[in-house]
Amino acid sequence: MSSLSALGQRLLQLIPVLIGISLVSFLLVQLSPGDPVRLLLGDRATAEAVAHLREQYGLNQPLIAQYFSYLSNVLHGDLGHSIRYQMPVGSLILDFVPPTLFLIAYVVAISVPATVVLAIVSARCRDRWPDHLIRALAILGMTIPVFWLALMMSRFFGVELGWFPVSGYGKGFLEHLHHLFLPAISTATWLVPLLLRNLRAALINETESDYVTASRSKGLGEGYIFRRHVLVNSVLPTLNLLGVMIAFLIGSSIVVEIIYAVPGLGTLMVGAVLGRDYNVIQGLTLFYALASVIVTLTIDILSTTIDPRVKL
Amino acid sequence: MITAKSKQRLLDVEKLSIAFGNVPIVKDISFGVDAGEILGVVGESGSGKSITCRSLLGLLPRAASVSGRIGFDGKNLLALSGEEMRAIRGRDISMVFQNPASHLDPLMTLGGHVMESLRHHFGQTRKEARQNAIDVLREVQINEPERRIDAYPHELSGGMKQRGMIGSATACRPRLLLADEPTTALDVTVQARILDLLGELNRTQGLSIVFVSHDLAVVAELCHRVVVMRNGEIVEEGPANEILRSPRHKYTKLLIDSQPSLLTLPPVAREEQAKTPLIEVDALSITYSKPGALPGTRKDVVRALQEANLTVEAGESLGIVGESGSGKSTVARAIMRLAEPSGGEIRFRGRNIAALKGTELSEYRRKVQMVFQNPFDSLNPRMRIIDAIAEPMIRHGLATRNEALGRARELMRQVELPLEFADRKPRQLSGGQCQRVGIARALALDPEVLIADEVTSALDVTIQAQILRLLQRLRSERHLTVIYISHDLSVVRKFCDRIAVFRAAKLVELGSAEAVFDRPKESYTKLLLQSAPRLERALERTGASDAGHGRD
Amino acid sequence: MISLSSASARRHFGPGAIEIAAGTAIILTWVVLAVAAPLFSGADPNGIDLIGLLQPPSADHFFGTDHLGRDVFSRVLHAARIDIWMGIAGVIPPLLIGATIGLISGYAGGVIDAVMMRMVDITVAFPFFVLVIAIVGMLGPGLYNYFVALALVGWVSYARLVRAEVLVLKNREFVTAAQALGYGPIVVMVRHILPNTFSSLLVFATTDAVLVLLAGASLGFLGLGVQPPTPEWGAMIADGQPYVVDAWWICFFPGLAATTLGFGFILTSDGLSRVLGR
Repeated sequence: MSSLSALGQRLLQLIPVLIGISLVSFLLVQLSPGDPVRLLLGDRATAEAVAHLREQYGLNQPLIAQYFSYLSNVLHGDLGHSIRYQMPVGSLILDFVPPTLFLIAYVVAISVPATVVLAIVSARCRDRWPDHLIRALAILGMTIPVFWLALMMSRFFGVELGWFPVSGYGKGFLEHLHHLFLPAISTATWLVPLLLRNLRAALINETESDYVTASRSKGLGEGYIFRRHVLVNSVLPTLNLLGVMIAFLIGSSIVVEIIYAVPGLGTLMVGAVLGRDYNVIQGLTLFYALASVIVTLTIDILSTTIDPRVKL
Repeated sequence: MITAKSKQRLLDVEKLSIAFGNVPIVKDISFGVDAGEILGVVGESGSGKSITCRSLLGLLPRAASVSGRIGFDGKNLLALSGEEMRAIRGRDISMVFQNPASHLDPLMTLGGHVMESLRHHFGQTRKEARQNAIDVLREVQINEPERRIDAYPHELSGGMKQRGMIGSATACRPRLLLADEPTTALDVTVQARILDLLGELNRTQGLSIVFVSHDLAVVAELCHRVVVMRNGEIVEEGPANEILRSPRHKYTKLLIDSQPSLLTLPPVAREEQAKTPLIEVDALSITYSKPGALPGTRKDVVRALQEANLTVEAGESLGIVGESGSGKSTVARAIMRLAEPSGGEIRFRGRNIAALKGTELSEYRRKVQMVFQNPFDSLNPRMRIIDAIAEPMIRHGLATRNEALGRARELMRQVELPLEFADRKPRQLSGGQCQRVGIARALALDPEVLIADEVTSALDVTIQAQILRLLQRLRSERHLTVIYISHDLSVVRKFCDRIAVFRAAKLVELGSAEAVFDRPKESYTKLLLQSAPRLERALERTGASDAGHGRD
Repeated sequence: MISLSSASARRHFGPGAIEIAAGTAIILTWVVLAVAAPLFSGADPNGIDLIGLLQPPSADHFFGTDHLGRDVFSRVLHAARIDIWMGIAGVIPPLLIGATIGLISGYAGGVIDAVMMRMVDITVAFPFFVLVIAIVGMLGPGLYNYFVALALVGWVSYARLVRAEVLVLKNREFVTAAQALGYGPIVVMVRHILPNTFSSLLVFATTDAVLVLLAGASLGFLGLGVQPPTPEWGAMIADGQPYVVDAWWICFFPGLAATTLGFGFILTSDGLSRVLGR
């Protein structure tokens, strides 16, 4: 099968998932105990006004019809209207995307090299003190609450030492780097251990595999075997985890953004939840899901280029 | 060409001992290999033969402590530094392993494996190495080496992978090749060709080989001299034909007597033959499919069995033989109703088993039982032995729990298992003991038909002989009908009254054991018979030539 | 080769056992501290003292006092009750739901599997924390709604884990043997397959407890979790945030508490996975 038609098949498989995602984000609003119209107009609105608004939003139609009109709106790029910001949710999200995107790229850029170096050291010094130290730190990194670490770091490095700004996003690339350094480090403290433990396990697993013994029997050097065989075979499981983690990261960046007052999607999300801005919650949830679907797809495509056995 | 007669010592192992912690694995053994010689190292599991083989190249895990002397080329390999040892590995001594699938890097092409040896030891450029790798692959009889050089291991058959591994091991023209069970994971016809290849490399390149195997017949076919190992010691050593013809040590005798082709099984007294066959397999076809891209669709149809017809008479023992992918196990699964036929039907006493429901089905399940290939895998690791045997009787409502436990003890006695094993878990038993549990569990429902699917292929040959004798005794005592599925022709010949030969999902030949073995009609059956190593044939051949070097 | 594997088993058993012992000791210490909180600290966790606001750690108040003059030490211990409960109770419903779905899906295969796996695909498409916040945002804040959100979202990991195990176990010979012996599908699934997934479930659940604990604390921090004045570590950190520059102790100790408890869980999980050979 050609890779192009395999890609086509893979995209076809996404359709039911995308339909499901839209259904979940549609039903999400139905979870809310209150009447959205009452919420919009306040408790003292006249029954007439309520009925009028219901008519206008199509809320008196059956659920299934509401879903299809929601779906058709979404397909036309209309995610509804924010009550709080008084603007379309779509353009609101686009306004808040850049800092979050920058932060995630920043975290990945810090985490991946750190993970690779630490995992290699840990695996090659297996069961000796550098390995024990790295593993203990990794457990610690996983268990420190990210928001707490962020708070403590902003107090120490930001307020006490004054090295880094404690809020905002700045202007221009260098300022972004400076402003988002602490948020990125606090998030990476949590991400690196997860990736590290996975890569270390994969490296050790591959080191014990039969083809490594076979390579040794051919007189190849340990360094060559590690680079050419062990490392290459360990990349794939870690890449897959990285994909899952990026999706996860989108979520965990929420709290960090709040602490450092980064004007990103997380700040928007929490504001919407606290302000009961349902359309924004709904639109953001949909947006997050689509983003993570795209990340997963990208990782899958990357995997096929690394491993000839993997088919889309 | 170096003649096999020149008696120049290449490898000299003296007083080699290997231990893991306090556990000695190899105890003070000495042997040697001459230039141009093929030395067979034979032994059962736990004999230390593979560990010995690995120690020659310094490939043991760090926990192992090794003492003694391994002389090669005037040097003691055990005294060399890591750097010096690496220069010898792959260059002067190299190794081929049992399972080619796991010993090749899945992310490296076949050519890459050959090229990395050449580039490492000879400093060849990528281009030179590639050209030479094509030649090497041609030498190990890989068709179209120009194309296959870029193939990844998963795109190749098992035999092809093993050829590739031999190629990557012999690329630098080593003087000694260590072969650790190189054909054990392969089908007999493929095994025969790999053995031919090794013999060919020995003759044309003067390559000395240490051939480690559990299979005496294979060793007899290939090797000049044989070392027999047991529990880490060498019990006997000498020219292949001498050892096989007149073994001196009683363990060697036991090994030879346990060879299925030389095994004597007591005859089975069969009852009066019934008019109608017990089981009729009528135009049976089975296809497997995978889920397609879209939910609900299916694709990639695999034909596991095509239009097979055969019958099983009450009280007989029917052998089903074939190589991997031949469909032989699929027949068993279909008779057990574990696989749905896509065409044709199976009748038990004239009733289509696909139509059985409820109590009728439950009754059928009791009458037809199965024993599996892998003794450790076929028992639930979390269940005690006694519970595994008693469970069928309880679930089928044949006995209360206490009665079932009592009967389970009786069954343990019948399959010659000590009663103190009752409360143990499977992992505390040996392979042969687990297989006895599997047999006892199958007998718990007092079946009429017992399907034995490769029941001895994971076992050592002496254990295999015990299990075959047990099955034969149970056949007599319980008037069992047995369907015996195996890749091993000599076992089937000993054990079965009639034989069905399968190939590539089709039944190719069916007849009495004598007819199929002595007067095979189909060319594939002939090929199978030719490929299967047999001790007595190897002996005939070595007897014809002069001492020691049977294949010249 | 048997000797080789037993040698490595011995090598692994030591450290694994040590990790389990250390991890469970940490968890048990926290359980004791939480259950017997009043014995360790006489101060009322919600006792407001407007004269003794923002006092630094001292012999009277080991961890100092917060902006309402409440004893931070006492609050940290009492908060442990909620947080331990959150970690353990938050894992159980997703585990039960997920294991059941994974078991049925993996064993039945075919259409049932395809449908269930699409459900999994859809749920994993939503980043865990986003969906939890969204659901809690819709249902309203509170511990109970957090558990509901967890049950709706968290089952996916368990379903995937169990399904993957079942797909392997299904082809093991002892499962075929059980089918050949005529046992019904429920007996095969529950008696023969499920017990063999327990060890990986246990290992995963102990790690998941940390995730649930930290996510719960994050919700508390955002004001979407446990509602004041009930002490909860995340909410306490949020309380202290405005005073973090001058009164660092309000934030510091609850975070340290969460870290140590999480450390105990992960240590236990690592040890278990070593001993159980995964």
